[in-house]
Amino acid sequence: MSNYIPTIGVEVHVELKTNTKIFSPSVNGYGQMANSLTNVIDLGYPGTLPTLNEEVINLAIKACKVLNCKIRNKINFDRKNYFYPDNPKNYQITQFDTPIGYDGYVEIEVDGISKKIEIEEMHIEEDTCKSTHRNNKTLLDFNRAGVPLIEIVTKPCMSSSKEATLYLEKLKELLFYSDISDCKMEEGSMRADANVSIRKCESDPYGTKVEVKNIGSISNVGVAINKEIERQEKLYESGESFKEQTRRYDDKLGDTVLMRVKETGNDYRYFPEPDIPYVYITDEMISNVEKTIPMLPDERRSKYVELGVSPFKANKLVNNRILSDYFNTLLDSNINFDIASNLLLGDISGYLNKEEKVITDTTLTKERFIELVNNIDDNTLTSRNLKDILSKVLESNSSIKDIIEECGIKNITDDDKIRKVITNIINNNPDSVSDYKAGKDRAIKYLMGQVMKETKGSINPKMANKILIEELNK
Amino acid sequence: MEDKLTKEEVLHVATLARVKLTDEEIEKYRVELKQLLNEVEKINDVEGYDKERMIAPWSDNTTLREDKSSDMLDPKEVIKNAPKHSGNYIEVPVVIGESEGA
Amino acid sequence: MYLDKSIKEINNLLKNKTIKPIDLVLEAFDNIEKNKDLNAYITLNKEEAIKKAKELENKEVDNILFGLPIAIKDNIVTKDLKTTCASHILDNFIPIYDATVVEKINDKSMIIIGKTNMDEFAMGSSSRTSYFGAPKNPLNKEKISGGSSGGSATTIAAKDLLFALGTDTGGSIRQPASYTGIVGMKPTYGRVSRYGLVAFASSLDQIGPMTRNVYDNALLLNAIVGKDPKDLTSSSKETEDFTRLIGEDISNMKVAVPNYFMSDIVSDEVKDKIKETIKILENNGVSVDYIDMKYLDKAMILYQIIAMGEASSNLARYDGIRYGHPIDNPKDIEDLYFSTRAKGFGDEVKRRIMVGSYLLSGDNAKTYYNKALSIRDDIKKEFSKVFEKYDLIIGPTTTTTAYNLDEDMDDPLKSFMDDVLVIPVNMAGLPAISIPVGKASDNMPVGLHIIGNSFDEATIYKLASFIEKKVGEIYE
Repeated sequence: MSNYIPTIGVEVHVELKTNTKIFSPSVNGYGQMANSLTNVIDLGYPGTLPTLNEEVINLAIKACKVLNCKIRNKINFDRKNYFYPDNPKNYQITQFDTPIGYDGYVEIEVDGISKKIEIEEMHIEEDTCKSTHRNNKTLLDFNRAGVPLIEIVTKPCMSSSKEATLYLEKLKELLFYSDISDCKMEEGSMRADANVSIRKCESDPYGTKVEVKNIGSISNVGVAINKEIERQEKLYESGESFKEQTRRYDDKLGDTVLMRVKETGNDYRYFPEPDIPYVYITDEMISNVEKTIPMLPDERRSKYVELGVSPFKANKLVNNRILSDYFNTLLDSNINFDIASNLLLGDISGYLNKEEKVITDTTLTKERFIELVNNIDDNTLTSRNLKDILSKVLESNSSIKDIIEECGIKNITDDDKIRKVITNIINNNPDSVSDYKAGKDRAIKYLMGQVMKETKGSINPKMANKILIEELNK
Repeated sequence: MEDKLTKEEVLHVATLARVKLTDEEIEKYRVELKQLLNEVEKINDVEGYDKERMIAPWSDNTTLREDKSSDMLDPKEVIKNAPKHSGNYIEVPVVIGESEGA
Repeated sequence: MYLDKSIKEINNLLKNKTIKPIDLVLEAFDNIEKNKDLNAYITLNKEEAIKKAKELENKEVDNILFGLPIAIKDNIVTKDLKTTCASHILDNFIPIYDATVVEKINDKSMIIIGKTNMDEFAMGSSSRTSYFGAPKNPLNKEKISGGSSGGSATTIAAKDLLFALGTDTGGSIRQPASYTGIVGMKPTYGRVSRYGLVAFASSLDQIGPMTRNVYDNALLLNAIVGKDPKDLTSSSKETEDFTRLIGEDISNMKVAVPNYFMSDIVSDEVKDKIKETIKILENNGVSVDYIDMKYLDKAMILYQIIAMGEASSNLARYDGIRYGHPIDNPKDIEDLYFSTRAKGFGDEVKRRIMVGSYLLSGDNAKTYYNKALSIRDDIKKEFSKVFEKYDLIIGPTTTTTAYNLDEDMDDPLKSFMDDVLVIPVNMAGLPAISIPVGKASDNMPVGLHIIGNSFDEATIYKLASFIEKKVGEIYE
């Protein structure tokens, strides 16, 4: 076991889901022909000036709210000056002195204990252009130049890769659920960098910090952090010191690789962007944005559990946003939510996956779904019946009642009828009855099998089981 | 006060500004840049000013742009002024990695 | 010659079809050809201008600027017309869009004749930092025309045409106007859109009209102002007719003369001319007070910090990648940056972007740039205080008359000192004009500087046109 305490901070860049870029009216899009989504502003042409996309400010406010950040009411932008071919003006417009959000947190649960991951600040900035390297040349595509980003910086408050990955999963879920970003790490719309250092004990100063960049998935963030902790431990153990540095995660090697050793402070020559005067974030703007925030994942989970859904299924529902949104439309109705969640996660999901559809593509309106749940709840339909009529339920507009009639489903729901069938079977199987009396559980299973066979499945198994035990105990 | 910058100081600012200098130019700028810097040093003598910063002299509340697209260029226009290009891409000598910025 | 007539006469001649726009265009090109040695232009737009003039023949003469030739400073971008900023690094640059002011000029059916010479990226005060050589002062070809809008001042003073646009970051319209005896206005910061003006110092730059007389100047300003959604620093102030107060009674106006503007830094001859003008005003019922103003003597330092700081960032984009003029066969990306910029920029530009980079580096941004922004706010407040009591502030535009072209260029402070009287105005973002008020013993013009309150250009024009008339009477 390790003798060192890791300290981890995470910086996340998230591309905002807007129609247009932050400082120009070019389309914000992914996967299009090179240099087809640009204009003179994105290219940094002489004489061009930035304008500021309203939706960027709104989404940033939303992110502040969702991440429990305080919102600054007067912000400005700053120029970060550095020469790089992917930086068209050779300065990036970002926020330095007045980040829009600060002092926020995200709550995670680590091994059953909840922990607040503190957010130092959140600021708005523009993305760089995309470079590809080919035959000793670098090719520039400016479609990404000027795509709006928010950068979310935590305090160095995490002590394991597990906390970091839980934080990222939670962050992703929150931003995705509130329509702030697609959060697709594979397309780069969410990018995470981790700052890792280790020290012997809490009272020591922080160890030398290493930044790990270019990590392509949340699970790899965990791997990269562990690898980095291991590497630093080895160095300290062998008495070697090292400099503050930036490393990148190499997926093929499964390890971090040195990119550059930090020079004595990068000289970005920040100064206030004179082309964009102060922006005032008013209470009205904030309350308008608040109205657009949907119910967030944690609230959904606890609400579902409250209504009788198991925590496991509640979580499964929340993991599928479209199903969860659908489920949310039912919350004010008086139905059996356990059955509703079973239906959505079970047969219906199975059908949708097979057909490569989502629930909103089907004909299952809220009203028809409620009818379906109630028919199962009062035993009119069994799960076996459901399999037979599922395609009609999801693809026709007939009421559930009509479908049941049309398919000739007539389940035995009459208590007396069931009791008659069961007494018959008990009388014909005296051996099993004595087995049952002798405490052999499998006798019940056998007898139930006989009951279902006799009724060709048109009977509610729970009900039959209950009556069978009653009769056996007589 | 020394009336010249050191060679290193001149090279430092030339690097920040990405300007290559000849030895002759370095010598010249050691004097000239120092003259300019001595001048701006005088700001340290100003006292009793208000802390409010004026970013731009005009202080209308910033008008935000509606999130609607317009005014895009054809890729052919993008490469029109570019000294080097390859297909629709603008070309530069090979650069390793991505920038610090984002 | 038609271009010697007043704007109203020309407009009537166009309306009654005595002349056509092409006559004006050809006359302007004739004049420019005759005055070729003045080096006022970097690029002429002859073919397109003639084409446009012919197209206009079928159009109704719908406004007073219709069909009139105009010259544009070469740091304002014009679609398909080379725009160099008088720099080697952009000497092949063909913009793919029009500046907002150019669109406005086109909306008025004015005809762009060419792009005027200037200091490289507008950095300088004599237009001698131009990659294409300095323009000459039409009043004495041994002298500078001033700068940075030297070419625009030259072509107006040479009477090539009636209208030109200049830009003013630290006096670059008013100072050359003063040196060449024309009228040059820097409007309030935010009056005119900067979209398409190649940035030198973003928080200071402003486009303005340069003309032979005050009335024409106000007309051209009418045409170019207005809120531009493409420029967040442009003001939503209502547009107005800037000629509306011209000719109105000026008695009872209150004018302030800051003592600093009449101190030892100004030559006696210039001061004498200004005093003569003040006498005229007083004789016509204007009350003139000499006042003390704080910070005026500090404006130069702030200007240097803010302008060089912003310039170092604004000029970072010239790397020869997306446009411009790179070196051949760079060894690597750093060589492309360092060598392209070494070759592409002139001495003054290099000096300023190096110092500007220094001023923003490390903790310096706090010590210099941020502090300068704070003091800048105080300068603005200081001016506001004066405008509570006075309608206008006046003084000389320049400390001397135009000096010789061959005067030493190596003093890095000289180009700033030429603008010491006009720079405070840019710090406060105020409107100000320079108008000629006679000549000194060297037979070179002296300019009167009239500063107004924010967005009060109309009052400046009112007094300016009165003085123009009175001074005219004296010289006739």
